[in-house]
Amino acid sequence: MLETLAQAVINGLLIGGIYALVSIGVTLIFGVVKIVNFAQGEFVMIGMYITFFLATRFGIDPLVSLAVSIPVLFLVGMLVQHFLIRRVLGLGDMPQIFLTFALSLLLMNVALLLFTANYRTVHTGYSDESIHLGAFYVPVAKLIAFGLAMVFSGILWLFLHFTDLGKAMRAAAQNPEVAMLMGINPHRVFAVAFGAALALAGAAGSLLMPFYPASPMAGQVFVLMAFVAVVLGTLGNVTGALVASLMMGIAESLGIQFVGADSGLIVVFLMLLLTLAFRPSGLAGGRGR
Amino acid sequence: MKKTAIARATESTAAANVQHDAVHTGVKGFSRRDILNKSAGGVIAATAFGAVPLRGWAAEPVNIGALYPVTGSMAQIGQGCVNAAKLAVQMVNDAGGIKSLGGAKLNLVISDIQSDTTVTRTETDRVINGSKVSAIHGCYASALTLIASEVAERAKVPLITGSSSDQLNVNRRYTFTPFARASQFAQAQLQMARLVNEKPKVAVIFENTAFGTSTSNGLREKAPGEGVEIVLFEPYSAGFADASPLINKVKASGADMLFSVSYLNDLILIVRTIKQVGLKIGLNGGSGGFVIPDFYKTVGSLADGLQGVAHWNHDSDENAQKVNAVYQKTYGEFLFEYAGGLVAQTFMLADALERAASTDPQKVRNALAGLDVSSGYAAMCPGGKVKFGPDGKNIYGHPVGVQWQNGDLASVFPKEDARAPLMKT
Repeated sequence: MLETLAQAVINGLLIGGIYALVSIGVTLIFGVVKIVNFAQGEFVMIGMYITFFLATRFGIDPLVSLAVSIPVLFLVGMLVQHFLIRRVLGLGDMPQIFLTFALSLLLMNVALLLFTANYRTVHTGYSDESIHLGAFYVPVAKLIAFGLAMVFSGILWLFLHFTDLGKAMRAAAQNPEVAMLMGINPHRVFAVAFGAALALAGAAGSLLMPFYPASPMAGQVFVLMAFVAVVLGTLGNVTGALVASLMMGIAESLGIQFVGADSGLIVVFLMLLLTLAFRPSGLAGGRGR
Repeated sequence: MKKTAIARATESTAAANVQHDAVHTGVKGFSRRDILNKSAGGVIAATAFGAVPLRGWAAEPVNIGALYPVTGSMAQIGQGCVNAAKLAVQMVNDAGGIKSLGGAKLNLVISDIQSDTTVTRTETDRVINGSKVSAIHGCYASALTLIASEVAERAKVPLITGSSSDQLNVNRRYTFTPFARASQFAQAQLQMARLVNEKPKVAVIFENTAFGTSTSNGLREKAPGEGVEIVLFEPYSAGFADASPLINKVKASGADMLFSVSYLNDLILIVRTIKQVGLKIGLNGGSGGFVIPDFYKTVGSLADGLQGVAHWNHDSDENAQKVNAVYQKTYGEFLFEYAGGLVAQTFMLADALERAASTDPQKVRNALAGLDVSSGYAAMCPGGKVKFGPDGKNIYGHPVGVQWQNGDLASVFPKEDARAPLMKT
């Protein structure tokens, strides 16, 4: 019993790492650009296809292809911010919601057209291996994904707190007008924030590929959890999103184990409801960042 | 698009192969001889009365409607069905067409039903009324076939299908189902569990949809009668990010056999997670998407040893192997369940047309109802015999238990249909 419980926690924690990469991207965009990016999951999907084609065409390991998916998605993020998002900033919520939602539908359907609905998998030497520790097992691919997810989150945190650009980003998030008076170009800062968020999505795509099949709808599976985590961990708060994602991974796993395999999400949403009832601004309280 | 282009380009090769094949089959197998024997009387009679040949008419082709989804979510399998349907028609025509109709060729009227129920209704209507078809076949997915069958019943045109829904045999006169029914699949799966272990402990996991729930309930109802103990009966929400919690649960249940009623994506994760956990458990993935070549392409060698059930398999007899060889040469993968059954169905239609000696749908229907074959391409199916009962069901129809063995799908159950020993896992 205790063994099953501990294994369930391990399983939940590992997948929570992937949720974290997606939700940190969403919360970063919301915190800085003040826009909800409904297309975040589709950028994870793009990261998966980049990884898939690099692996099948050139035999490149998914972990090596991080070196491609991260910069490519960073660039895509800057371009999306520059050519699309910038045009709807300050126009109210509706145009922004429609824009990112339309982008999500567009990307999904373009992927359907280009890649068909088939599931694509990549097998690596470590894809189906696990480390067995006594009665427990830790799948290698998921452990690597979790470890690197934590590393990337850490790098982002350091960037936000210790670099000039990161500080400028936080300043622009807190008060764009004052930031501008201080000589910060908000559009440049927004573009970097969007790029960084999409780079994380790209990283998630590459890290998922050794153990999760790519398909045009793959992003949808992860984005729902990401949105819950973002609200749970206080909108715009990077650390909050990280902690909430890990908590949700564990809650989902325990829910499946002890309530029912179709109740994993029920436990997660119960957590969300209770949080909203007692701490309406999320677990991290009023501190957005 | 690219794929279609390749398929088109290779069609001519297929035709050539079939032609080559048909020359050889003149001696054994289906058979030009059978048909000649059967139709000799007809030909003599026709000549005597100075009918078709003396008037110098070219025999008019017999229109057969083929309703398959070649776009939309089921496009890939639908395209495979169309390929097989064309191949089968080519085979019939190369062997001389329908002799009792003056060697009339079969003409396939193909319609794309777009994986959509509304389109299926309008397209079935259009094909029946627009093309004067003698019979139709379709549609792969039961949900679509049920609709096509309703339209065909009203129009009084015979429909022959490999779809497995038992509802296709309720209150129908023009619908014929030569292969195993959905209700028989559960029983076969349970019996297969006993191949490995005399007293199997089975875990059933299923997605909480209509498909998952009805299939798994069928398994649960029949389990006690088959001496199978179900130790876990667990619905899950389809489309999960991670199968580990579910497999952790299966592990805790102590089951030695797992029945997974799942769509492809979830099944891929389940198979890979079982490997990661190092869980020693047999897995039966059922039918449908589990028994098509794509499954092996996606899962790879991890699929070896996994069991499933099918209404048709390409190793059932010599004829099936022969058709499979032609299909494989053209399309690069083995002839899958539904497509292979479709080739047999086309020959059943040809047999009925031959005996009906008419293109009138009503007469073709009556000839189909009187079908009784136990050799040739029309009889290539598990059991090797086809004869329809009053409900349009093949009275000999039963599923075949299959197992993935080195990338191929081998028949392993029941004994009389087994073509390879069960691979130990």
